[in-house]
Amino acid sequence: MIRLLRLFCLAVLLVVVSASPTAAHDVRAGADLRIAQTIAGAELTLVIKATTRVPGPLRVEVIGFPSAPALDLRLRSTADGRVTHGTAAPGRPAQFRVEETGPHELTVGAGGETAVIPFRVLVDRGSGWEFLIYGGLFVAGLLLVGGLLTGAFNRRGRPAVVVTAVAAAGISVAALIVVLEPWLPARPPDGAEPRPTGSALGRPYVQRVVTTVPARPAAGEEFTTRVELFDGSTGRPVDDLAVHHEAMAHLVVTSQDGRYFRHVHPLRTAPGRLEVRLRADRPGRYLTYVELERTDSGGQLLTGSFTVAGPERPTASPGPGIQDAAAGTVTVTPAVPRAGRPATVEVAANGTPRPWLGMAGHLIVRAEDGEFLGHVHEMGTPGSRLRFTFGFPVPGRYFAWAQYATDRGITTVPFTVEVPR
Amino acid sequence: MIRTKGMKGLGGLVLAGLLAVVVVAFVVARTSGGDPVTTAGTRYAVTVTADRNTIDVRLDRGEADTVTVAAVMPAMGHAMPEATARKAAPGHFVAEGDLFSMGGGWELSVRLTGPPGEETLTFTTLVAD
Ligand SMILES: [Cu+2]
Repeated sequence: MIRLLRLFCLAVLLVVVSASPTAAHDVRAGADLRIAQTIAGAELTLVIKATTRVPGPLRVEVIGFPSAPALDLRLRSTADGRVTHGTAAPGRPAQFRVEETGPHELTVGAGGETAVIPFRVLVDRGSGWEFLIYGGLFVAGLLLVGGLLTGAFNRRGRPAVVVTAVAAAGISVAALIVVLEPWLPARPPDGAEPRPTGSALGRPYVQRVVTTVPARPAAGEEFTTRVELFDGSTGRPVDDLAVHHEAMAHLVVTSQDGRYFRHVHPLRTAPGRLEVRLRADRPGRYLTYVELERTDSGGQLLTGSFTVAGPERPTASPGPGIQDAAAGTVTVTPAVPRAGRPATVEVAANGTPRPWLGMAGHLIVRAEDGEFLGHVHEMGTPGSRLRFTFGFPVPGRYFAWAQYATDRGITTVPFTVEVPR
Repeated sequence: MIRTKGMKGLGGLVLAGLLAVVVVAFVVARTSGGDPVTTAGTRYAVTVTADRNTIDVRLDRGEADTVTVAAVMPAMGHAMPEATARKAAPGHFVAEGDLFSMGGGWELSVRLTGPPGEETLTFTTLVAD
């Protein structure tokens, strides 16, 4: 009984230390990999569909918000180097074939831009414990039958005890595993990244360098915003980003005065390097916020800024999405929110929201001075009303942008909130 | 007599329990440990086996003149100095020494130079204690 208890404790301990890690870029049965990308001026989500068997087919779908260009896709296994090509567009998925589980790279190209998305194809191998159940029962059965046939049970003394003991052990193992299976550590699936059992969670902080190409973009002209990520402890590029709210990174770019707002999903152009093309119509200072999460770690927010040179050049395209500031669509309760107390922001959506980045709606809140940025999620209100609960941390003026997706694309509703002293 | 029989029964049960623990412990122990990792780049492909004091690099594709390895433990933020692997045989390079400060999950960057050019292949491997 004591042994049983000890074993149970061991099993519980194993479960505690092998708590499931942050989902990296894995594709496995029942788990599609969804990655938002801002490419060729379009906002889209790539869906690498779940696989049940390898070798087998692998499908890649594209969802446009509201539309997406045809994407040139190239799938490469980084285990055996095999390369296959395909194209995908909304409603026209690409069919690939994977020969091996493990690490792969999907290169996505459109409009002269290229992203490389690393991911792993995993296939579950079962818990791996059932052979102990069958093994234990098999040994017990063999010994009992053998014991009966040889008459070991009729003789007193050692043979009977040994045969009984070993048979009992077999049954004990089988029974233990049956009872404990839900708590036993599952065997890693085929193709999983090698990881030690009981590894501690948390990785060093990320340092960022935010630049633009060209270094001083001109108003109205397209430029590239580049975010380079470095490990604070080793100085190496950070290339272990987990998919977090359906993207490797979320980049929010706002002008100091809050009139310009973009929420985009930069492309991984090299290990530790994220890039996205933008256009700003007015000169001035722009603030950047990158929301990301390293594997096995929590979320991080990295800030930066850049300057756009004059003169003002209103652009024909205001960027992807619809800017909809129709009066009366936003209600804040209480009407005069108090710092540190939860307030409710309700947005009457124009149309039926469809999930975007895994949620019905997003609310991004920036303090006027840029020192605070919050990202709030809609909590699942039925119908076309989006409801967010958020506590404005300190008194002051806040710029806020509510975002949701409909068949017409992504709608951004800008508004400001005053939080009095 | 009855007493001895009881004792023997207890002994059998203890033995059974012990066996069960040993079998389960063996299986748990068997599930951890390093395996060779094969990684293919555009110029080279390598199969690497790593333990505390040796990194064994075998080229599956591409001819390399020099091979260096740099190890980083992402979970701890540990970086080890770059080590140059000596050519043990054509297509087989071995780095030796104090290559890892501890056992666990390590990210290895293998930098290869040779006629096909320079390439760094990065992957994760398990290093036993
Ligand atoms: Cu985002």
